[in-house]
Amino acid sequence: MDIAIRAVVLYVFVFLLMRLAGRRELSSLQPFDLVLLIIIGDALQQGLTQSDYSVTGAMIAVGTFAALQVGTSYLNFKFKRLRPVLEGYPIVVVQDGNVIEANLKRERIAVEELAQAARLEQIASLDDIAWAVLETSGRISFIPKKSS
Amino acid sequence: MAEIPDTIVLKRDRYLAKRSKELWVRRTLFLLLTAFIVAALANVFGQRSSTSEMAVPAATLTIHSPTSLRSGLTFETRLRIIASQEIKDAIVVLSPEWIEGITFNTIEPSPVGEASKDGRLSFDLGHIPQGQTYSLYLQMQVNPTTFGMRTEETQVFDGKTLLLTSRRDVTIFP
Repeated sequence: MDIAIRAVVLYVFVFLLMRLAGRRELSSLQPFDLVLLIIIGDALQQGLTQSDYSVTGAMIAVGTFAALQVGTSYLNFKFKRLRPVLEGYPIVVVQDGNVIEANLKRERIAVEELAQAARLEQIASLDDIAWAVLETSGRISFIPKKSS
Repeated sequence: MAEIPDTIVLKRDRYLAKRSKELWVRRTLFLLLTAFIVAALANVFGQRSSTSEMAVPAATLTIHSPTSLRSGLTFETRLRIIASQEIKDAIVVLSPEWIEGITFNTIEPSPVGEASKDGRLSFDLGHIPQGQTYSLYLQMQVNPTTFGMRTEETQVFDGKTLLLTSRRDVTIFP
């Protein structure tokens, strides 16, 4: 039973941590971030199952995480009011070629990083962007201006 | 102005109306996380050892052991008895809180005898001459499922005569 409780506690902690980290960290996974993710996973595992090497223990842990994840996404889908808490809303960072500095600053994204993300989408200049939206996943979606 | 993408609400997503509290929630979470780490550095969650001392005319007992522990931790407890007077048959009695949910990996030096004294753990240490010190090292480990608060009681006897009683509060974090 305590594995399930530990799984719930750790799920909530990681959830809050991810919300705290913000979208910038989620969108830009550098090699160091990947190493960090592995370390976090390893540290969590020790607190989760500790010295329990059983298949049952692993099933309880994984099952609890899966149930919590499905439950969270269901709540997010079903109750619109919970969306700002569980997932958040997108943020517009470029409108009509104009960079919205305040919104970028809020998400700790530099203009250079925005330009880099645009280049990855084959957009050479920020002036060519009609809309750039920082999505809840941490990715930036670009809608180019329509060519006249 | 370019056509607004579907489901984007300018007031909410561009001008971030009524979204200032999001930032404050994030800042509060960050503060809480920082406080948690500072508390950990300040030994709130263990496992730095502290020393407690109990002295009576016949003997002094010092216990050097962590008062904050976490599930699964290996730690050392040192019991030191300084005999101000000769103790012919020193016996240390530990309350069940010392052992419940905690594994004794080893005890050095091995006591002369071990027994259960009214449900408590009794270690017969033998003779301690006046002015000498007896150190008992207990290498212990908290069982992974153990947590909570407890008061550990330690008693020192000379044969059947109770010399002193010491109590210390221990918190085991999950």
